[in-house]
Amino acid sequence: MLGHASSSFRVPAAIVAGAILFGLGGVLPGYLASDFTLKLANEGLLLGLLALSVAFLMSEAGLVALGAASIYGGSGYLFAIAMSEWGMSPGAAIVFAFLAVVAYGAVLGALIVRTNPLAFMMLTLAAGEMIRHVVMLEAVHDYTGGADGLVVSFKGAILGMQAADFANPQHFWPIGWTAVWLIGVTLWSVSRSRLGATLRAVRQNEERMRFSGFNTYVPRVVAYILVNAVAAVSGLLHVLNAGFVSPESLGLGVSTNALVAALMGGTAGSVGPLAGGLIFAFAQDEFGARGATQLLTGAAIVLFIVVFPRGVVGGLVAAVRRVLPGIDRPRGKT
Amino acid sequence: MIALLIANSLALASLLIMLASGLALIYGLRDVINFGHGALYMLGAYLGYTVAKVTGFWLALLIVPILLALVGIVLEFLVLRPLKSRSHIEVALVTLGLGIILGQIIIFIYGGEARSIDAPAILSGSVTVLGLSYPVYRVFLILMGLGSCVSLAVWLRFTSSGLFVRAVSQDPGVARMMGINSDQLSLLVTSLSAAFAGIAGVLAGPYLSIDPGMDIVMIVDCLIIVVIGGTGSIAGAIIAALLFGFVQVAGSVFLPNVAALVPYVLLMIVLLIAPGGIGRGRVLN
Amino acid sequence: MLKIEGLSVNYGSLRALADVDLDVHDQGVLHGIIGPNGAGKSTLLDAACGRRRPTAGLVRYRGEDITKRSVAWRRRNGMSRSFQRTSIFPDLTVREQLELVAAHLGDDRLDDIIRLMDLGSYLDQQAGRIAYGVQRRVDVALALLGRPNILLMDEPGAGLSAVETLRLFEHLRELVSEQKIVAVVVEHDVEAVFACCGMVTVLDLGRHLATGTPAEIRKDSRVIAAYLGSAA
Repeated sequence: MLGHASSSFRVPAAIVAGAILFGLGGVLPGYLASDFTLKLANEGLLLGLLALSVAFLMSEAGLVALGAASIYGGSGYLFAIAMSEWGMSPGAAIVFAFLAVVAYGAVLGALIVRTNPLAFMMLTLAAGEMIRHVVMLEAVHDYTGGADGLVVSFKGAILGMQAADFANPQHFWPIGWTAVWLIGVTLWSVSRSRLGATLRAVRQNEERMRFSGFNTYVPRVVAYILVNAVAAVSGLLHVLNAGFVSPESLGLGVSTNALVAALMGGTAGSVGPLAGGLIFAFAQDEFGARGATQLLTGAAIVLFIVVFPRGVVGGLVAAVRRVLPGIDRPRGKT
Repeated sequence: MIALLIANSLALASLLIMLASGLALIYGLRDVINFGHGALYMLGAYLGYTVAKVTGFWLALLIVPILLALVGIVLEFLVLRPLKSRSHIEVALVTLGLGIILGQIIIFIYGGEARSIDAPAILSGSVTVLGLSYPVYRVFLILMGLGSCVSLAVWLRFTSSGLFVRAVSQDPGVARMMGINSDQLSLLVTSLSAAFAGIAGVLAGPYLSIDPGMDIVMIVDCLIIVVIGGTGSIAGAIIAALLFGFVQVAGSVFLPNVAALVPYVLLMIVLLIAPGGIGRGRVLN
Repeated sequence: MLKIEGLSVNYGSLRALADVDLDVHDQGVLHGIIGPNGAGKSTLLDAACGRRRPTAGLVRYRGEDITKRSVAWRRRNGMSRSFQRTSIFPDLTVREQLELVAAHLGDDRLDDIIRLMDLGSYLDQQAGRIAYGVQRRVDVALALLGRPNILLMDEPGAGLSAVETLRLFEHLRELVSEQKIVAVVVEHDVEAVFACCGMVTVLDLGRHLATGTPAEIRKDSRVIAAYLGSAA
């Protein structure tokens, strides 16, 4: 997020530049962009957050999650149901929904992280479909609204904002922007921490890590819980912004969109997946009008893995390094 | 009641065996899970629908697998071979993307509504066995499933290519030292696996509906089966398919409200007890 | 220190190790394990370090039965090993991987080990890109971190020339005697073993043939008949 500051006196400069960028980015689009553009950009930010959760797990732990949408959509459903059926206040419902899906992710993770990465990928796909089936069950139709989904609106305020504020693209942008920065910087720090180094080492050589005295299971479960927390934040912001949840928000379609956004931007670092989310949202607007969103998704997966494995941002960084060698000494982040 | 239950689960398992064993075969050779397998099955079903309209069911059951085998050859030459040096995860993602593309093209051509084809006259109606009336078509499905199990077993056990496939699946390194050409084997296995997906697609026509979501439903079911069976184990996949068929059918009879969840519960239980699945597949790193 | 009792390992119907007893206790002395291909040398190490569950028998460490302990537990409690096929972290730099493991195991002698294994000039290179001989030294260095009491080494000289192997063994002998480590080395190169090891065990077809000093082993008639031949 802040770039690779490689010598100590450049760190404050990077922080100042980051703060300026953060401030400008939070305020300017509200004045410059149309409501329609902002609405797309908001969707892009939230997709970017989901993509970030997918990308972090890919680049740090070497695991591909194809069930991100079940956390994303599931948190929205729980938020709505906690308010309408269980009479919780909006704030309590958000906390409840967040904790519940993260707990679910922890149990699921504890179960499936033990398998190999390919089986992990299959299992996350299966678990995601399971959640979609749960929501569609006849028995819970009164709660979930079945195939129609739920309109979600709340009375009172969350963080001093009314439901209408969250639905307003201009008012929502600074919230999404702040969340993206907070989470982006957090994940970037984690990847720089001992946990990040441990995860990458486990990804490269799990056996050697065990033979170096490391527990190789717990760090991966922790990583899985962490990325699910990010997906839950993205899902909760989405339901506040969009005002409804539907089975589509739980489905494989959203999971693969997040995957594509991550691949587009590049899975290493925080900037790539977030940029990927924005690119995807605008591209989807273009292609979706012709009913070809899914086709775009499929083609983008193939294209970015086969031809541009580093994604747009990764590719740009590499290009800049080639043109301006020594702009930052690459510190072997893997 | 029990007999009917078992017969129904065998009918469903027959389709699943044809698809899941194809997945397990490719995995054994290339360490790749073909996430596009569901789309191949869907292609088989829609092609079966079109071809059967012209030639009738029986010829479709012959022609479609041949067409799908050609698709398998294309898959081998244009995807699996060029991406041999990439990680298994990347190749799996590429097959996922290709599967989405194929599914979308099929929907683009055929539209969104569900289709169905009729079973040929000789397979329609019911037959009475041991005092039970049972649809002939499902008996036919069970026989086809049994037939594919037997031919798979005979091939793996008694032919040299089958022996090589088993050797590579158990230890690719040793097999390479023995001079086994895994590229040639992979061509054979990938086209066979696609052809079986084609047979399953045609057979599904009169039994299940032909609709735009069929690829996802089937690939998810097959992935569950492959994981339960122990990734890469063919015997495990067959046993898991039988188990899956049984709990699916029993679930819809005894727990109609939550039938859709029963397979997932089975999956979770197996994962709790044996994270590697029930079969003895090769564990990968 | 390390005591193996009645250890058997089966691979399917193949018996790789049959009822092997071994007692390694001399600190500061290299204990070599030699034997023809298929004698069960690597299997013995795998079973001792927990990589493979024995079919029967016990592994004792400091008197305690550790047969069912995990690999990570054994490592944290002082049992370490290196691998025949180099097992390192290819995308991390040499420094990153050594620091990661040293920090985890609370070892502050990283600099000593870097000097001992002569890795000073490779620290900032990605481990996957350095020469194979250097990778082997990284592998051994990873095993040396955390002050292990027992070091199990599987053919540390594999892939090295005879001269390099001999030099590595000299390194190892120095290190082992300096740190008072109990060290077990599986090795193909019989001459290197006889030159540097204080004790030698000979395995043949999964069975324990003989244990003794190099001089005793050279004269042992069973060993000569089964393995060394008259040339030795």
